[in-house]
Amino acid sequence: MSHSLVHRLASLRVTLACIGVAVAVALFGDGGGAWPFGVIIALPFGALCLNLLAAMATNVTLRSNAGLLGFHVALATLTLLTAADRLTGLAGHIEVTEGLGFDPSLVEADIGPFHPWKLDSVRFVQGGFEINYDPGMKRRETVSTLYLPGDGRASHRVEVGDDSPLVIGGYRFYTSFNKGFAPLVTFTDGAGRAYSGTIHLPSYPLNYFKQGNDWTIPGTSKPIKVWLHLPDEVYEEEEAWHFRKPENARLVVIAEGARQEMRPGESIPLAGGHLRYEELRSWMGYTIAYNPLVPWMLATVVVAILFLAWHVAGKFRARSWDGRARARPSRRGEDAAVGRKRAYVR
Amino acid sequence: MFADGAWLPISLGLYLAAALAAIVSAVRAGAFQMTILLLSVALSVHGIAIFKRWIRLDHGPYVDLFEILSSNIWSLHFAVLIGCLAVPRIKASLAAVLPVLLVLVVWLLVVPERDTLAPITYGTIWLPVHVTLGKIFLGCAVLAVGLSLVVLARLSGLGTFVTLPGNRALDELAYRFILIAFIFETLMLVAGAIWAQDAWGRYWAWDPLETWAFVTWLSVAAYLHFRALRWSAPALNAVFVLGIFVVAFSTFFGMPFVSTAPHKGAI
Repeated sequence: MSHSLVHRLASLRVTLACIGVAVAVALFGDGGGAWPFGVIIALPFGALCLNLLAAMATNVTLRSNAGLLGFHVALATLTLLTAADRLTGLAGHIEVTEGLGFDPSLVEADIGPFHPWKLDSVRFVQGGFEINYDPGMKRRETVSTLYLPGDGRASHRVEVGDDSPLVIGGYRFYTSFNKGFAPLVTFTDGAGRAYSGTIHLPSYPLNYFKQGNDWTIPGTSKPIKVWLHLPDEVYEEEEAWHFRKPENARLVVIAEGARQEMRPGESIPLAGGHLRYEELRSWMGYTIAYNPLVPWMLATVVVAILFLAWHVAGKFRARSWDGRARARPSRRGEDAAVGRKRAYVR
Repeated sequence: MFADGAWLPISLGLYLAAALAAIVSAVRAGAFQMTILLLSVALSVHGIAIFKRWIRLDHGPYVDLFEILSSNIWSLHFAVLIGCLAVPRIKASLAAVLPVLLVLVVWLLVVPERDTLAPITYGTIWLPVHVTLGKIFLGCAVLAVGLSLVVLARLSGLGTFVTLPGNRALDELAYRFILIAFIFETLMLVAGAIWAQDAWGRYWAWDPLETWAFVTWLSVAAYLHFRALRWSAPALNAVFVLGIFVVAFSTFFGMPFVSTAPHKGAI
C-alpha cells in the first residue's frame, strides 16, 4: 500500500464518511436485502477499524495521546469482539412441554457459523410453572420449575424465570412471554401401534381467541384441525389472575368433514385407528442465548470509557472553564498551550 | 388530572416564570438572580410531585410518556441550573435554553396522567442506573444546545447576549459539555446492554430504541471528529449540536413509544 494511500485512508473525512454509512445502515440496513444485516453493519465498522489503523500509522499526535489512542483501540477491539461473538453465538427459542425433556432438535435459532454446537449435551425436564398477572392482564413474576440430571438417578430441581435464567453448558435459557396449553394425545393405528405426543397450541393468553392448530396423524399425510374449546372464562380481564390450565376444556377434532369433541380420557375413531385425548398439559417458551465473549466485551468497553475519561480530564486540566490556559510544564518542557494545539487531531 | 395534588401544575407555572425572567434578564443584561431563584423553587416543587407519585405507585418515573416527560423536565432544568452555577459566565444562555425546555412543559400539559405499573423486567438496579446516565447525557447536551443557540442567534441578528463570552469561547464550552455528554451516553448504552442481557438474554438486538440510541452516539462521535476538521467553525458546530439534540430528543421522547416489546415490558 502506498504512503499516500495510507494517509488518505487515515483522513478524518473517511472517518466521517464511515460514521455516516454506519448511521444509514443502522437505520435502513435491515430492509430485507440479499445480505444479512450483521454483514452489512460490519462493513462501515470494519472500514473504521482500517481508518484507525491508518491514523495510528500516520498520525503522531494520535499515537502520543494515550487517552485518545487507548479509547480508539478499545473501541476497535470491541468491534472485533462483537463480530466474533456474533460468529460464535446462538440466539434461539424453544417450547418445552410440561413433563417432557428438552429436545435440542426442536430449537429454532440464528446460529453463528463458528458456533460450537453443545445443545445436544443439555438435559432438563420441564416441571410446572407459575405466572401471576395483575388486573389488566399485566404479567408479573414467572417461576418455572425444571429438573436437571443429578447424581445417579435422582434429579435436581431448579427454579428459573424472568431475569434468572438456567445456565447450562454456556447456554442461558430465559423464560419468555410465550407459554400455553398442549393437549397430550395417543393415536393407535389399525395394527395396534401407538404414537403419543403433544400438540402445542398458540401462546396463551396472547392468542386466547385462537387456541387451535393443525396436526398430522402419524403414518398419514393428512392434517386435521385441533382446537381447544373453553366453555368457561379462564380469566377476568380486570382481575388479578394466576396462569392455570382450564378445568373443563374439551378437545375438538375436525377431520373428514366431521367435528368431534373429547374430554380427557375419551377416544374417537380416526383414519383407520383411534385417537385418545389423555390430558391437557402446558408448555413454556424459552429464549436461548450463547454469548461466550460478553465478559470480554464488557471489560473492553469499561477500559474504553476509562481511556475516554482520562483524555477528557486531560483536556479540562489544560484549560479552565473560564477560558484561561493553565500553564504547567509538560514532560517535554512544552507549555499547556502548545499541547493544546496538538489536540483534537482525531 | 394531577392525582398528586397541585405540586406539578405549580412547578410548571414556575418553569414558565423562570423562562420569562431569563428573557427579561437577557434583554436588560441583568444578573439572572430571579431566574435562578424561580428555577430552584420550581425544581423543589416539581421534585415533591415526582416523589409523591413515586411513593404512591412504588416505581420510578420511567414507565409511560407522562412519567418520562415529567422526570426529564425536572432533570433537564436541574442540569441547566447546575451548569449555570458551575460555570457562571454562561448564565445568560438561560434565556436561550429555558424557552426550548418550555416545549416539554407544554407537551406534558396535554399528556394524560394515568397510574402505571412497572413491568417485571424493570425490577433491576440497572434500570435506574441506565436512566440516570441518560439524563446526565441529555442534560449536558441541553447545556450545549443553549450555547449553540446563542451563537446562532448572534449570527442571525436575533440577539447580542452581551454578557456572554464570544462565539469561539461559547463553541469551546459547548464542545466541553458534549464531551461530558459523550462519556455519559457511552455509559448509558453499556448500562442498558447489561440490563437487556439480564432481562431478555441479549445485550443488543437493534430494536428501534437501541438503534436510535446508537445513532445518537454515532452523531456525537461525528461531531467530535467534525470539529477536528480545518473548516469547522462556531456556526457549523452549533448547527451540528442542534442536530445531535434533535436525534437525542427523538430517541428519548419518540422511540420508546414505537419500540418493540422489550422496552415497553409488554405482556
